[in-house]
Amino acid sequence: MRPNTPWRRLVAALSSMRLTLVCLGLMMALTVICTLAQVPLGTHVAVDRTIRTFLVWWQPEGSSLQIPVFPGGGMVGALLFINLSLAQFMKLEWSRRKFGLWVSHLGLALLFVGEFSTAFFQVESHMPIEIGQTRDYTEDYRRLELAVVDTTDSERDALTSIPESIVKAGGEIAHPSLPFMLRVKRYHENSQFHMRGPTDPPSEATLGVGASLHMHPEPPVSGEGEQNAASALVEAVAPDGRSLGILWLSNALGAPQGFITEGRTFSLSLRARRYYLPFSLTLKEFHHDKYAGTNIPKNFSSLVRLSDAGRGENRDALISMNNPLRYGGKAFYQASFGKNDTLSVFQVIQNPGWLIPYLSCILVSLGMLIHFGLKLAGAMGGSK
Amino acid sequence: MSKWYADAVEIIFPLVLIIASSSCRRDSIEVRQVPKETASPMAMPPDGSMPSGMIDAPPPASGVSWTAPAGWKEEPGNGIRLATFVPPQDPGKSEATVVALPGEAGGELANVNRWRGQIGLAPIDAVVLTAARQGVKSRLGTVVVYDFTGEGTNRSRIVAGLIQVGGTTWYFKLMGDEKAVGKNKAAFIKLLEGLQKDAS
Repeated sequence: MRPNTPWRRLVAALSSMRLTLVCLGLMMALTVICTLAQVPLGTHVAVDRTIRTFLVWWQPEGSSLQIPVFPGGGMVGALLFINLSLAQFMKLEWSRRKFGLWVSHLGLALLFVGEFSTAFFQVESHMPIEIGQTRDYTEDYRRLELAVVDTTDSERDALTSIPESIVKAGGEIAHPSLPFMLRVKRYHENSQFHMRGPTDPPSEATLGVGASLHMHPEPPVSGEGEQNAASALVEAVAPDGRSLGILWLSNALGAPQGFITEGRTFSLSLRARRYYLPFSLTLKEFHHDKYAGTNIPKNFSSLVRLSDAGRGENRDALISMNNPLRYGGKAFYQASFGKNDTLSVFQVIQNPGWLIPYLSCILVSLGMLIHFGLKLAGAMGGSK
Repeated sequence: MSKWYADAVEIIFPLVLIIASSSCRRDSIEVRQVPKETASPMAMPPDGSMPSGMIDAPPPASGVSWTAPAGWKEEPGNGIRLATFVPPQDPGKSEATVVALPGEAGGELANVNRWRGQIGLAPIDAVVLTAARQGVKSRLGTVVVYDFTGEGTNRSRIVAGLIQVGGTTWYFKLMGDEKAVGKNKAAFIKLLEGLQKDAS
């Protein structure tokens, strides 16, 4: 064995049973914190701020300072994963007798890997689609984008998608695809617009619908069923420094706004972030079945046409409750409906590790069966 | 613990930390070609509730009819647009639109400055507005017309007419490349002259 180096001491500490118990205790505490936080923050924000983070941050009221106050689920999970893996390799006997425990531990480790895969790589979005309509993108309502679309070409549009995080950071945004620079003058996570009255101050916007609106900042919301109406005051500036106009952009203002410069027509909008698909879905039928003689829903289902020229796919698929369409690494679940049953909404989940939890459960169960089977066989053999 | 275990652990552990720390997602600007947008359903959250702060679209207006100039393609409206006309796309691109809004919709000066902004021109005041104002006679009365040309190498031009009918202001706008708008202006003015009460 090698001498007692700092690395060895660290590895010994990381593989200790004491760390296992501390991590399990922290996980229980985090579960309680997250559950309580869901009341004011809503499920998604509470999970993001307590479980799917390495540190739980606290911001004192009226201050921009962020203080770490508790280890987040990411850190506890990573520590527990390292702890269990090291303990497995260092302490568990490598023998036929312990084979079942090895398999169970591997399953448990996979469960952690699966959660990390979900936290880091899962993308959740939605696709609202009307009967007869074809769509090749999904929308993420929790993330926004500043979409700058060059609509000059009569056949196709050129989209420059600027993520919300870049807009939120403010300052100047330049990109080779744009013949102008965007200067983000203000950004509000939530706001209210109303038609500007005679007593309202002049609008800061000089272009688009915002010129006749008055914007009022609101505190951000994150509760169930609530959505922020974000707004950004953006100035487009030509390369020679000339202002092309100042616009109020918001996901609450429906139609895109724009201008023409250098013979090219641009439209700008702050909208739900879009994820484009290499295939398209056309909604052929939507059914909202009810139990006979009542208004109690029995089943929701959508018949879609799946078209993927790249893979030569052109077929019908039925999406119903708990029966998603899985295609191209995405699962389309029947999530909602509207417009007198002419609009269907799919929840679209992309998770490269979606099979890991299933595999993990199989391995844990198999490992326990093997372990207790061997024990039983040993006990029966000994009793003879 | 055997020696190879200890060696493996000492190599793998730092590697796991490096991979974990570098696997954070970073947002970046993306550029792509996308199909032309068609009228899409209102983006709504999964529970069907509307976002707060939503501004209601004005009700569809009616009461004015027009005749599209020969060779112009008339397309159905989209959103608050009641109609879109596509003139021949030579010697450049241009498009004409019809929008109707209740009341004065912010006033004439605000709308003119909005149009000027669309082609990168600075706002003007009421005095310059009066000087820029022209009139075209139609069966509904005088249509107020403005004509502005942008700056830059490839200049854009806008010819816009507005008229109040009842409690609604109707906006007719021809906008596009300077040369294209110049060529199609006469046909556009003829469209304004032909405005009349919609019998339906």
